[in-house]
Amino acid sequence: MRRRTTVPSDAAQLAVVTQFLQEFWRAAELPPAEARTFELALEEIFMNVVMHGSPAGHEPRIEVSLEFCDGKMILTVEDDGPPFDPLSLPPPDVTASLEERRVGGLGVFLVRQMMDDVSYRRTGKRNRLRSCKRIAPPATSAERMKH
Amino acid sequence: MNRQVFEIRLGTAGEVVMVGRLDATQCEAALRFLNGLAEPRVVDLAGLEYIASAGLRVFLMTQKRIKAAGAGLKLINVAPQVRDIFRYAGFDRIFDISGGGA
Repeated sequence: MRRRTTVPSDAAQLAVVTQFLQEFWRAAELPPAEARTFELALEEIFMNVVMHGSPAGHEPRIEVSLEFCDGKMILTVEDDGPPFDPLSLPPPDVTASLEERRVGGLGVFLVRQMMDDVSYRRTGKRNRLRSCKRIAPPATSAERMKH
Repeated sequence: MNRQVFEIRLGTAGEVVMVGRLDATQCEAALRFLNGLAEPRVVDLAGLEYIASAGLRVFLMTQKRIKAAGAGLKLINVAPQVRDIFRYAGFDRIFDISGGGA
C-alpha cells in the first residue's frame, strides 16, 4: 500500500500530515502501538524542514510518502528547499547535566533511535529523508474473526 | 473525532495536568501556561498520549527555570510510550519520572 500528499512548508500543516498518517495506518490495518513512532518521525522531519528549509521569498513544498510493503513501513519526506542534511548534525549529549542540555538535534536523534534505518539524499533540487522500520504484519480479517 | 487535541490545566491538588498530544504546534501555549506558574512541582501525565522533541523542550525549559530556585519537576503517571521518549532523550537523568500505578 502506498499514499502520498503534498503540503506547504508551514507548521500549521503538521496536523494535516499527521492525520494523513493516521488514516493510512487505519487503512493498512497496522498495529496502533507502532503509529506513534511514525507520528514522531514525521513531526521531527516535517518541523525540521519548516524551521530550517524556508529561505525568504521561497516557500518550499513538502511531500510526504508512506509505503507499507513486505512488513516494512517506509516514510519519505521530500522538500524543494535549500540542501540540508539533518543527519550530518552532531548527536546531542543525552548524558549532559541539566544546565548544559540543549534540544537542538534531539529530534533527529530520536528518529534514529526509533527507526531501523534513516537516510538522506539530495536529488536534483530536492532533499529526501527516508525512514524505515520493520513492523509486525497486520492481522488479516480472518485472523481477527477468531478472537 | 479530533485526534490532535491538547489540554493543559491545573488539577484539584494544584498539580499541572496535561492531556492529549503535545506536538510542536501546542508547545508555545504549554510553555506560556507553565511560565505563568511561579513554581510548578507535580505534572500529571496520565492523559498525555504523545510527545516529540518540541514537547520535551517545554519540560526542559521549565526545569531549568525552577531549578534555579532550587526546585524540580515531578512527572507522575507517565504512560510507557511517553516514558520511552523521555528515556531515549536521556531525560530520566534530569527529571523525577514515575509511571502509572507506581
